[in-house]
Amino acid sequence: MTPRLRKFALTTHVICSVGWLGAVASYIALDVAAATGQDAQTLRAAYLAMELIARYVIVPLALASLLTGLVMSLGTRWGLFRHYWVLISLLLTIFATIVLMAETRTISYFADRAADPTTSGDELRAMGNTLVHSIGGTVVLLVILVLNMYKPRGMTPYGWRKQHEHRTVSPP
Amino acid sequence: MANPSPYPDSGVDTGVEPDRESTPGTPRWVKVFGIIALIVILLVVIVLLTGGGPGGGGHGPIRH
Repeated sequence: MTPRLRKFALTTHVICSVGWLGAVASYIALDVAAATGQDAQTLRAAYLAMELIARYVIVPLALASLLTGLVMSLGTRWGLFRHYWVLISLLLTIFATIVLMAETRTISYFADRAADPTTSGDELRAMGNTLVHSIGGTVVLLVILVLNMYKPRGMTPYGWRKQHEHRTVSPP
Repeated sequence: MANPSPYPDSGVDTGVEPDRESTPGTPRWVKVFGIIALIVILLVVIVLLTGGGPGGGGHGPIRH
Protein backbone atom coordinates (compact mmCIF):
# COMPACT_ATOMS: atom_id res chain seq x y z
CA MET A 1 0.00 0.00 0.00
CA THR A 2 1.40 3.41 -0.89
CA PRO A 3 1.72 5.94 1.97
CA ARG A 4 -1.03 8.10 0.48
CA LEU A 5 -3.42 5.17 0.12
CA ARG A 6 -2.53 3.95 3.60
CA LYS A 7 -3.32 7.37 5.05
CA PHE A 8 -6.66 7.41 3.24
CA ALA A 9 -7.53 3.89 4.44
CA LEU A 10 -6.56 4.78 8.01
CA THR A 11 -8.65 7.98 7.92
CA THR A 12 -11.65 6.06 6.59
CA HIS A 13 -11.21 3.39 9.26
CA VAL A 14 -11.03 5.96 12.07
CA ILE A 15 -14.10 7.81 10.73
CA CYS A 16 -16.13 4.58 10.57
CA SER A 17 -14.99 3.28 13.97
CA VAL A 18 -15.45 6.52 15.89
CA GLY A 19 -18.69 7.18 13.99
CA TRP A 20 -19.93 3.74 15.10
CA LEU A 21 -19.19 4.61 18.72
CA GLY A 22 -20.87 8.02 18.41
CA ALA A 23 -23.95 6.54 16.76
CA VAL A 24 -24.27 3.98 19.55
CA ALA A 25 -24.03 6.82 22.10
CA SER A 26 -26.98 8.62 20.49
CA TYR A 27 -28.83 5.29 20.28
CA ILE A 28 -28.35 4.77 24.03
CA ALA A 29 -30.01 8.14 24.70
CA LEU A 30 -33.11 6.90 22.86
CA ASP A 31 -32.84 3.50 24.52
CA VAL A 32 -32.88 5.17 27.94
CA ALA A 33 -35.96 7.17 26.86
CA ALA A 34 -37.63 3.90 25.82
CA ALA A 35 -36.69 2.28 29.12
CA THR A 36 -37.79 5.08 31.41
CA GLY A 37 -40.42 6.97 29.41
CA GLN A 38 -44.07 6.87 30.41
CA ASP A 39 -45.55 9.06 27.70
CA ALA A 40 -46.86 7.02 24.76
CA GLN A 41 -45.81 9.58 22.16
CA THR A 42 -42.28 9.74 23.53
CA LEU A 43 -42.04 5.95 23.51
CA ARG A 44 -43.37 5.72 19.96
CA ALA A 45 -40.88 8.34 18.75
CA ALA A 46 -37.99 6.69 20.60
CA TYR A 47 -38.61 3.21 19.18
CA LEU A 48 -38.99 4.55 15.64
CA ALA A 49 -35.83 6.65 15.88
CA MET A 50 -33.93 3.71 17.41
CA GLU A 51 -34.70 1.61 14.35
CA LEU A 52 -33.66 4.37 11.94
CA ILE A 53 -30.33 4.94 13.72
CA ALA A 54 -29.61 1.21 14.05
CA ARG A 55 -30.53 0.28 10.49
CA TYR A 56 -29.19 3.26 8.57
CA VAL A 57 -26.28 4.49 10.69
CA ILE A 58 -24.98 1.87 13.14
CA VAL A 59 -25.14 -1.22 10.90
CA PRO A 60 -23.48 0.44 7.87
CA LEU A 61 -20.78 1.96 10.07
CA ALA A 62 -20.14 -1.38 11.79
CA LEU A 63 -19.75 -3.18 8.46
CA ALA A 64 -17.58 -0.38 7.05
CA SER A 65 -15.45 -0.43 10.20
CA LEU A 66 -14.92 -4.18 9.91
CA LEU A 67 -14.09 -3.91 6.21
CA THR A 68 -11.67 -0.99 6.55
CA GLY A 69 -10.05 -2.71 9.53
CA LEU A 70 -9.42 -5.78 7.38
CA VAL A 71 -7.97 -3.59 4.62
CA MET A 72 -5.71 -1.78 7.10
CA SER A 73 -4.33 -4.95 8.66
CA LEU A 74 -3.95 -6.96 5.45
CA GLY A 75 -2.56 -3.98 3.52
CA THR A 76 0.14 -3.22 6.07
CA ARG A 77 2.86 -5.20 7.81
CA TRP A 78 0.73 -5.44 10.96
CA GLY A 79 -1.09 -8.42 9.43
CA LEU A 80 -4.31 -9.92 10.66
CA PHE A 81 -3.02 -12.75 12.85
CA ARG A 82 0.48 -11.56 13.78
CA HIS A 83 -0.22 -9.38 16.80
CA TYR A 84 -2.56 -10.18 19.67
CA TRP A 85 -4.05 -6.69 19.73
CA VAL A 86 -5.02 -6.92 16.04
CA LEU A 87 -6.44 -10.43 16.43
CA ILE A 88 -8.46 -9.55 19.55
CA SER A 89 -9.73 -6.34 17.91
CA LEU A 90 -10.86 -8.37 14.89
CA LEU A 91 -12.64 -10.99 17.02
CA LEU A 92 -14.38 -8.35 19.14
CA THR A 93 -15.47 -6.40 16.04
CA ILE A 94 -16.90 -9.55 14.44
CA PHE A 95 -18.65 -10.44 17.71
CA ALA A 96 -20.10 -6.93 18.09
CA THR A 97 -21.30 -6.92 14.46
CA ILE A 98 -23.00 -10.33 14.80
CA VAL A 99 -24.80 -9.29 18.01
CA LEU A 100 -25.79 -6.00 16.35
CA MET A 101 -27.26 -7.79 13.33
CA ALA A 102 -29.26 -10.09 15.58
CA GLU A 103 -30.39 -7.19 17.75
CA THR A 104 -31.61 -5.27 14.70
CA ARG A 105 -34.48 -7.80 14.43
CA THR A 106 -35.61 -6.97 17.95
CA ILE A 107 -35.33 -3.24 17.26
CA SER A 108 -37.38 -3.60 14.06
CA TYR A 109 -40.01 -5.52 15.99
CA PHE A 110 -40.24 -2.71 18.57
CA ALA A 111 -40.48 -0.11 15.80
CA ASP A 112 -43.22 -2.05 14.00
CA ARG A 113 -45.25 -2.26 17.22
CA ALA A 114 -44.64 1.43 17.93
CA ALA A 115 -45.71 2.41 14.40
CA ASP A 116 -48.96 0.47 14.78
CA PRO A 117 -51.63 2.98 15.93
CA THR A 118 -53.58 0.20 17.65
CA THR A 119 -50.69 -0.44 20.09
CA SER A 120 -51.78 1.09 23.38
CA GLY A 121 -49.68 3.16 25.77
CA ASP A 122 -49.61 0.30 28.28
CA GLU A 123 -48.32 -2.08 25.61
CA LEU A 124 -45.62 0.42 24.63
CA ARG A 125 -44.54 0.82 28.25
CA ALA A 126 -44.32 -2.98 28.63
CA MET A 127 -42.31 -3.52 25.45
CA GLY A 128 -38.86 -3.32 26.96
CA ASN A 129 -35.58 -1.98 25.66
CA THR A 130 -32.18 -3.01 24.37
CA LEU A 131 -30.08 -1.25 27.01
CA VAL A 132 -28.08 -4.33 28.00
CA HIS A 133 -26.95 -4.84 24.42
CA SER A 134 -26.31 -1.18 23.65
CA ILE A 135 -24.29 -0.58 26.83
CA GLY A 136 -22.47 -3.91 26.41
CA GLY A 137 -21.73 -2.99 22.81
CA THR A 138 -20.32 0.36 23.89
CA VAL A 139 -17.97 -1.35 26.35
CA VAL A 140 -16.76 -3.71 23.60
CA LEU A 141 -16.19 -0.77 21.22
CA LEU A 142 -14.26 1.13 23.90
CA VAL A 143 -12.05 -1.92 24.51
CA ILE A 144 -11.34 -2.13 20.76
CA LEU A 145 -10.56 1.60 20.67
CA VAL A 146 -8.12 1.34 23.58
CA LEU A 147 -6.40 -1.70 22.01
CA ASN A 148 -6.04 0.17 18.71
CA MET A 149 -4.59 3.27 20.35
CA TYR A 150 -2.18 1.58 22.76
CA LYS A 151 -1.23 -1.38 20.54
CA PRO A 152 0.02 -3.51 23.46
CA ARG A 153 3.02 -5.64 22.57
CA GLY A 154 2.83 -9.35 21.98
CA MET A 155 3.12 -11.50 18.90
CA THR A 156 1.11 -14.60 18.20
CA PRO A 157 3.05 -17.83 17.47
CA TYR A 158 2.16 -17.28 13.80
CA GLY A 159 3.50 -13.71 13.86
CA TRP A 160 6.64 -14.85 15.66
CA ARG A 161 7.23 -17.54 13.02
CA LYS A 162 6.65 -15.07 10.18
CA GLN A 163 9.05 -12.55 11.71
CA HIS A 164 11.77 -15.18 11.96
CA GLU A 165 11.15 -16.26 8.36
CA HIS A 166 11.47 -12.62 7.30
CA ARG A 167 14.75 -12.22 9.20
CA THR A 168 16.11 -15.48 7.74
CA VAL A 169 15.24 -14.47 4.17
CA SER A 170 16.55 -10.90 4.49
CA PRO A 171 19.37 -10.72 7.04
CA PRO A 172 20.45 -7.26 8.21
CA MET B 1 21.34 2.62 3.12
CA ALA B 2 19.70 2.23 6.49
CA ASN B 3 17.91 -0.98 7.16
CA PRO B 4 14.20 -0.29 6.69
CA SER B 5 11.89 -1.01 9.59
CA PRO B 6 10.05 -4.30 9.21
CA TYR B 7 6.92 -2.30 10.07
CA PRO B 8 6.92 0.68 7.76
CA ASP B 9 3.26 1.28 8.47
CA SER B 10 3.76 1.64 12.15
CA GLY B 11 3.56 4.80 14.09
CA VAL B 12 1.82 6.76 11.33
CA ASP B 13 -1.16 7.31 13.57
CA THR B 14 0.10 7.13 17.11
CA GLY B 15 3.86 7.31 16.94
CA VAL B 16 4.06 3.92 18.62
CA GLU B 17 6.94 1.64 17.74
CA PRO B 18 5.34 -1.71 16.90
CA ASP B 19 8.38 -3.88 16.38
CA ARG B 20 9.52 -4.03 19.93
CA GLU B 21 11.43 -7.04 21.10
CA SER B 22 8.75 -9.67 21.44
CA THR B 23 8.81 -12.94 23.32
CA PRO B 24 7.41 -16.28 22.18
CA GLY B 25 5.16 -16.71 25.24
CA THR B 26 1.65 -15.33 25.55
CA PRO B 27 1.80 -11.82 27.08
CA ARG B 28 0.30 -11.31 30.51
CA TRP B 29 -2.24 -8.77 29.28
CA VAL B 30 -3.63 -11.36 26.82
CA LYS B 31 -4.02 -13.90 29.64
CA VAL B 32 -5.78 -11.34 31.86
CA PHE B 33 -7.96 -10.31 28.93
CA GLY B 34 -8.87 -13.95 28.27
CA ILE B 35 -9.79 -14.59 31.90
CA ILE B 36 -12.01 -11.49 32.01
CA ALA B 37 -13.67 -12.50 28.71
CA LEU B 38 -14.30 -16.00 30.07
CA ILE B 39 -15.88 -14.63 33.26
CA VAL B 40 -18.12 -12.28 31.23
CA ILE B 41 -19.21 -15.12 28.91
CA LEU B 42 -19.99 -17.36 31.90
CA LEU B 43 -22.01 -14.60 33.56
CA VAL B 44 -24.01 -13.99 30.35
CA VAL B 45 -24.70 -17.74 29.98
CA ILE B 46 -25.82 -17.98 33.62
CA VAL B 47 -28.11 -14.94 33.23
CA LEU B 48 -29.61 -16.36 30.02
CA LEU B 49 -30.11 -19.83 31.53
CA THR B 50 -31.80 -18.43 34.63
CA GLY B 51 -34.25 -16.51 32.43
CA GLY B 52 -33.16 -13.03 33.41
CA GLY B 53 -32.48 -11.89 29.88
CA PRO B 54 -32.36 -8.28 28.80
CA GLY B 55 -35.52 -6.24 28.52
CA GLY B 56 -37.12 -7.96 31.46
CA GLY B 57 -37.58 -11.60 30.50
CA GLY B 58 -36.90 -13.46 27.33
CA HIS B 59 -34.52 -12.68 24.52
CA GLY B 60 -35.36 -11.17 21.16
CA PRO B 61 -38.67 -10.48 19.47
CA ILE B 62 -39.85 -14.09 19.78
CA ARG B 63 -40.82 -13.46 23.39
CA HIS B 64 -44.06 -11.76 22.28
